[in-house]
Formats: sequence, C-alpha cells, structure tokens
Amino acid sequence: MTRKRILGPHVKRLLSGVSTHGHRHLNEVETDLLQTKLLLEEAIDKLTSSFTAIHDTVSARQGAIDRLLAGAASDEDRAHLAGMADEIAAHVNKVITNMQFQDMTSQLIDRTLKRVNGLREFLGTMGEHGADILPDSGSEEIVERLGKVNVALATQSRELGNVLRKSVEQRHLESGDIELF
Amino acid sequence: MAKTILAVDDSSSLRQMVAFSLKAAGYDVVEAVDGQEGLDKAKQQNVDLVLSDQNMPRMDGLTLIKSLRALKGYEKVPILMLTTESSDEMKAKGRAAGASGWLVKPFDPQRLIEVVKKVIG
Repeated sequence: MTRKRILGPHVKRLLSGVSTHGHRHLNEVETDLLQTKLLLEEAIDKLTSSFTAIHDTVSARQGAIDRLLAGAASDEDRAHLAGMADEIAAHVNKVITNMQFQDMTSQLIDRTLKRVNGLREFLGTMGEHGADILPDSGSEEIVERLGKVNVALATQSRELGNVLRKSVEQRHLESGDIELF
Repeated sequence: MAKTILAVDDSSSLRQMVAFSLKAAGYDVVEAVDGQEGLDKAKQQNVDLVLSDQNMPRMDGLTLIKSLRALKGYEKVPILMLTTESSDEMKAKGRAAGASGWLVKPFDPQRLIEVVKKVIG
C-alpha cells in the first residue's frame, strides 16, 4: 500500500505525459496527412483538367491543320491556328502551377516522417528506462527512474516540436502572394 | 544579350519549372540545388537576379541572401525569395536579410515573368 502511494503519482505523471505528448504529435501528423491529401486531390483534378483541355485544343484544330496541309485553309482556320499556341501556353501555365503540389507535399511528408521517427525514439526511451527497472527494484529506485523518463520524454518532445516548424500552410494550389520590398 | 537568372531550389521539379518558364520568356537560367551551390555559382559568374527557395539542405535561403549581400558585386543585385513560407515573420526576416521581394509558392509562370520583368527588365 505504501509503495503504491509512493509510486502512484509518478506513474500517473508518466502516463499523462506520454498521452499528452503522443496526442500532440499524432494530431500534427494527422493534420499534415490531411493537408497532403487535399493538395494531392486538388492537383490530380486540376492536372487532369489541364491535360484534357490541351488535348481538346489540339483536337479542335485538327480540321484546320488538315485543311492547311491540303492548301485549303480559310482565314478563320489561320486565325484559330495562330491562337493555338497561346491557348496551349495558358493550359501549360496552369499545369506548372499545379505540378508544384510535389514540392509542398514532399515537405509535408518529410515533416511527418521526422515526427514519426521522433515518436519512435520517444517510445525507445521509455523502453530503455523500463528495461532498467528490475522486478526487485526498490520503490525509491523506481521513482528516480520514472522521474528521469519524464524529463527525457518532455525534452525529446520539446526538441521535436522545435525542429518541426511548419513551412507549408497552403491548403490549395492557387498561386501565392507576391510582395516586392 | 539575355539577362541571367540564378534559380536556387532543392526540388529538381521546381527548378525545371522555373527554368522552363524563364527561358520561354527569353532569360538565361543557371540552376543550383541549394544555397551553398547557389553561392558558389554566384561567385563563378555574375547574374542579374537570384531567385531562391528558403528551406534547403546545407544552406537555406536567408543565409544565402546574407552571404550574397556580403559578396562584392552582389550588394544590389535583386534577390527574390520563391518559397512555400508565407508568414509575415519569415517575410520580415527575408527583408532584413536583404531580399528584394517574396513570392509564395505555388507560382504562376505568367505572374513570375511579370515580376522578373518589373525587377530587371
């Protein structure tokens, strides 16, 4: 009973710390993954639209190209063909904007991987300290060990949070702000 | 003679898209994979404008700006940041380091070219 009373608050603090830090990091992982999913879905939708539009533009001009090759192109055909490059360039510009999903999602995935690795180290620290607690360890020794685990976990969690500053806030693939100083 | 732009980004696809857009507008483009390579290339040849990402291995964009500003001949060369970073805090740091402008990714090629033309003609 005495031993339980001594150990209780320390065990509670440890479990609470693991739960709090674990939740915080997993929430961030979840947020990053959801943001990645949004960006990927939007990118695929927009890229599909752009490639279809490029195909449609070329197909729509095929008749004019055929007539031009046959030497029977009208002025209207020539005007349409002259504008085709601009039309395609506009679609290609959209493709370039939307292809940048790779840069953003890559940063989000890197951040998620680092956080998952951090959590693995976090759990590894618990395992290492737990292995040092022997079946016949005295309560004073266990309390001291639990205190060290708590400090180590809090430090690891804080350091992990500090190195994982969020650099991608975009949730859509609209072109970003421009500011000249 | 075409003006030369140094494009610094650790993402190869981003570098390709920047180079494609700028070359189509008549600029010469020199590419670098991070701030350190960007600095090395800037020392090897004079460029008219630097377009740099922020978060890169070895040397980030802010450090590159500070290093370039300390380099003879680059005191006034325009340096534009092209990055996913959009916070006012980061923009303020960029401005303090000597950046000439801040462009948030994703970029639209047409708008990028307009800005480049405005800055270096």
